[in-house]
Amino acid sequence: MILGKVKKGIFAVQILLLLMFPLLLTGCWNNRDLVDINIATGIGLDRTEEGKLLLTIQIVEPAAIQSTASGKGKGGGAQPEPVFTQCFEGETVFEAVRGMLSIVDKKVFFSAAQVLILGERLLQDGIEEVLDFFQRDHEMDYQMRILAAKDVTPREILEIKNDIDPIPAVYIKETVDNTVARGTVKKTMLIDLIKDIEDRGKQPAIGQISKEGEEKVRTEGTAVIKDGKLAGWLDPYETRGYLFAIGELRSAIVSVPADKGKVAMEIMKAKGKTKVEFENNQPSMLSIKVSVEANVGGYEGTGRLDSPDNLYMLEEKLKEEIKKEIIMALEKTQKEYSSDIFGFGTYVRKFHPQYWKNAEKEWDSIFSNLPAQIQVDAKIERTGIIINPVASGD
Amino acid sequence: MAEKTRKRGKEENQNSNNRSTHTDLYGPIPKTTEAVKEKLGEIFSQCSDFIQREILCGKNGKTRMLLAYFNGFVDKMILNQDVISPILDFFSNNETDEVSPVYMRLKDCIVVNSEIKEVDDMGQAVDGIISGEALLFIDGEEKALVIGVKAPQGRHVDEPDTETSIRGSREGFVENLLINIILIRKRIKNPNLKMEMMTLGKQTKTDICICYIKGIANEEIVDEVRRRLKKINTDAILDTGIIEQYITDNRLSLFPLVGNSEKCDKLAGKLLEGRVAIICDGTPYILTVPYLFIESIQTTDDYYDNAFFATFMRIIRLLALMISNLLPGMYVALVCFHHTVIPFKLMITLAASRQGIPFSPFVEAILMIIAFEFLREAGVRMPRPIGQALSIVGAIVLGEASVSAGVSSNLMVIIVAITATCSFMVPPLIRATMLLRFVFLAAANFMGFFGIALVAVVVLTHLCSLRSFGIPYMAPFSPLTSSDLKDSLIVVPIWAMVTRPRMLRQENTGGFKNSKRMEVKTSRDSRKS
Repeated sequence: MILGKVKKGIFAVQILLLLMFPLLLTGCWNNRDLVDINIATGIGLDRTEEGKLLLTIQIVEPAAIQSTASGKGKGGGAQPEPVFTQCFEGETVFEAVRGMLSIVDKKVFFSAAQVLILGERLLQDGIEEVLDFFQRDHEMDYQMRILAAKDVTPREILEIKNDIDPIPAVYIKETVDNTVARGTVKKTMLIDLIKDIEDRGKQPAIGQISKEGEEKVRTEGTAVIKDGKLAGWLDPYETRGYLFAIGELRSAIVSVPADKGKVAMEIMKAKGKTKVEFENNQPSMLSIKVSVEANVGGYEGTGRLDSPDNLYMLEEKLKEEIKKEIIMALEKTQKEYSSDIFGFGTYVRKFHPQYWKNAEKEWDSIFSNLPAQIQVDAKIERTGIIINPVASGD
Repeated sequence: MAEKTRKRGKEENQNSNNRSTHTDLYGPIPKTTEAVKEKLGEIFSQCSDFIQREILCGKNGKTRMLLAYFNGFVDKMILNQDVISPILDFFSNNETDEVSPVYMRLKDCIVVNSEIKEVDDMGQAVDGIISGEALLFIDGEEKALVIGVKAPQGRHVDEPDTETSIRGSREGFVENLLINIILIRKRIKNPNLKMEMMTLGKQTKTDICICYIKGIANEEIVDEVRRRLKKINTDAILDTGIIEQYITDNRLSLFPLVGNSEKCDKLAGKLLEGRVAIICDGTPYILTVPYLFIESIQTTDDYYDNAFFATFMRIIRLLALMISNLLPGMYVALVCFHHTVIPFKLMITLAASRQGIPFSPFVEAILMIIAFEFLREAGVRMPRPIGQALSIVGAIVLGEASVSAGVSSNLMVIIVAITATCSFMVPPLIRATMLLRFVFLAAANFMGFFGIALVAVVVLTHLCSLRSFGIPYMAPFSPLTSSDLKDSLIVVPIWAMVTRPRMLRQENTGGFKNSKRMEVKTSRDSRKS
């Protein structure tokens, strides 16, 4: 009986020990109250003129947010600011992050960061090494939006204050997401950027942000990166062509000249595929296939849409328009920047690994000199509630 | 403690028949009523409610009789009608000098009472008197008649306070054992509904009744109930709650392994499923065994209502059970450890509501939960008329005032309120939940979600290891009994519920044998220690 009890006791202890082991596996188990951290909403990274790293962090003051949200105390005396922005210089990102603690009172918490804004000087200097910290740290949100600041420092962007949203970083993030729906900015999340950097067959492209007046930002365009350094920028239309080609376009409004006016086509669905044609084991041509489904969103003119011919014609014009944008983007990246942001190299690596082994080093120059074949399919699904424009001439 | 258990083991044999001890104590019935009167006066000295009435009748009061009873315990009207006046009538009309025929006649044709019994020793006579019957002693006889003239005691059949339902019977059990038996018989008109009476408690001599339906209830479970009840050796059985503690399988578990109910229709349903009920005189709460975990989220309304709705309610109840256990712990884990999983906007709200609170979330949660328990317990204990004052105070403590005073965040107030509300949705598990909540809270404060998962594993393991009268507590989930799932989280319509719970019917399967082995072991243990 006693032996049985002892055995049972040993068994219980074993089970307890077994349960305790996972304790060692968890990375963070320190008890830290939510009020004992500084919640960072936006991060800015740039280089100073001396080549030091300049970290800008936008920190939110939750209590102030609540009082502005509920409208309490508006117009009352000294209202605390909902956010404050703090800069710190350091040799490395981590040093700057920890160094920040000599200025702010609580540990900075990065998981809620909405945007990471990279300054132009940093982009020109190279981004790959500074991103290491963002992958290594366990608190980073891999879904935070990455933006490249054009003609403005990250600090200036993060210090923007307006009435649209009490937290500027949230305002920026929402704006980016809106623009993504228009197809004129590339939505780059941290995880995408990291993936693109690791993928030797594809150069990263980052959404662009610039200042619009004193209080607003504009998120349009794309920064083209080549080997971790900024190669140049794509304007909104080129960006759209680029997104059409790589199949990342969700929706867009394309203006098409039609007889007696202009038609605004709303792209409902778009598929894009990039490929490299090979001849005699040598790449002979870049091939881009895009197929879109569109609706007529507006017809500012006096043409008619009530016969299939009209629609066919419109489809042809839409194809041309899209093709034009793709060519614009492709030519710029080929000729000017010589940077394969389309990921043709990834295709080659996958389907022609033998060739890729040798060509990997000089792929960008091979890419720049390949001719391109662009094929666009367009289909008009609906014309909205009415068929002909209101002012259609008979 | 050890001494007590040893004593219990020794007395086990005698205990099976409590009445026999009295025989030794009081001996036979004396022949003369004089002697009887003297002896009874001695036994019931200082009992001012004890009444002995001498009846002198026959020629010159030659035939002497003694009527002994407790005042108020017997119905005097019936006593007069059934006993005293027939005797007086008889002797005024018939003159008999022989004694023996008088006794026979008394028993067979004079006393008009349906419940009449002959006893031949003093112990049984005393038992009769103390259980509210009238004793008739006749001069010259060593026998006495026990006449059932017990006055109906206690309150009327009423709606139970603890178990209310929207539909269904409003009849609840009362304190009177016989009325309770009738309430069950009224619902199950079947000769197979068996009622086995026994007496427990050395001082209280409480009537206990084991109730089951022969042919539906598992005989082995009925045997087990008899065995466990017979083993009880205690002075007082004042409520079924005391029986429950003696017969439960695991005396140290937080979870109830014996069910209780005040509702007649619920009990009838349990009996028809094959459960065994234990009725105790003096309490409206009737025990049912075996009691499974799933029963705590079953209500009678589930069977009277639309099955889809019933299923939804079962799921809601289970959800409420989990919330009432886990919510404060989850909150502490989120706020203290796992900031990364909180959505951004919620995080701002959380951080803002916690701003300026002087306590850590753990301390804050403990304070608020204890404050709530104060209020709850005060609400149970205090006299009813003061209730209003308490609710006002309660609203202040657990409300806006504590938030604006800055001792608690408004989110914590909501959490405590939801936790409390949810715990009331599953009444049988309130006690277990109340204590487990603190364990989860402490684990969350120590190790976050990992701690909660750890405690949850321990609790679930414990639940799965429990058995109630041989039936696995977590049935039909563990072990999975697919045929019993029809009345678990999913409730199928009543016309589709064609089979009785298989778990309760099982005979000669491993489950029950295990429990028997366990039972034998515990009894041996208690004797040894």
